[in-house]
Amino acid sequence: MNVRVNFYSYFKELTGCGRTEESLPEGGTLHDLYLRLIGRFPKLGAMEKSTLMAVGVDYQPRTHVLKDGDEVSLFPPVQGG
Amino acid sequence: MHGMKRQLTITKEAIDEAALLGGRAMSGGAGAAVYFAGVVRGTEDGAAIAAIEYEAFEKMAERQFGLLFDEMEKRWPVESVRLVHRVGMVKVNQASLWVEVVAPHRAEAFAACQWLIDELKRVVPIWKKPVAG
Repeated sequence: MNVRVNFYSYFKELTGCGRTEESLPEGGTLHDLYLRLIGRFPKLGAMEKSTLMAVGVDYQPRTHVLKDGDEVSLFPPVQGG
Repeated sequence: MHGMKRQLTITKEAIDEAALLGGRAMSGGAGAAVYFAGVVRGTEDGAAIAAIEYEAFEKMAERQFGLLFDEMEKRWPVESVRLVHRVGMVKVNQASLWVEVVAPHRAEAFAACQWLIDELKRVVPIWKKPVAG
């Protein structure tokens, strides 16, 4: 399956792109996706503890099972206000 | 169907506080209107700045604000909430955030307003980047 991935804030600088795509085996989780992404973008790996992840417009835990066509977002802690 | 009125605006335009205050609506049962303006400071980590550039993941921000409003309505008898958040470049001394909570009494209005701002800083996907002067 294929998923789209968006980066926000300084994660765009760390990865050098605002968005990318990734392929995963069926049943793959957010964590599986994350491991592939830090393989491609090692600077992202240094931010692991503070990385937030969403599928669509909702936060999801790393155990969340992805499906084909999902739109995943990765970003650092939020700073609104 | 929600009893609490909600108005959310995420905008590149300057926040017009006078217009917002002029647009206030309160029922006869409401006795407290608490509002807060968050304003860009002239320094960030001790260094002078000219502005802050705000970036939002807008669709998710709308969803997360909606969830916060749902929770706020469960916790307090709030009659209405209006919230405006800027995106893009916000100069020093300009408001980046404006929130108003209308409720029957001041205790719940203050508590709900404070809680909403604390929570937005925790979950709403908006980020800032200081812009040097």
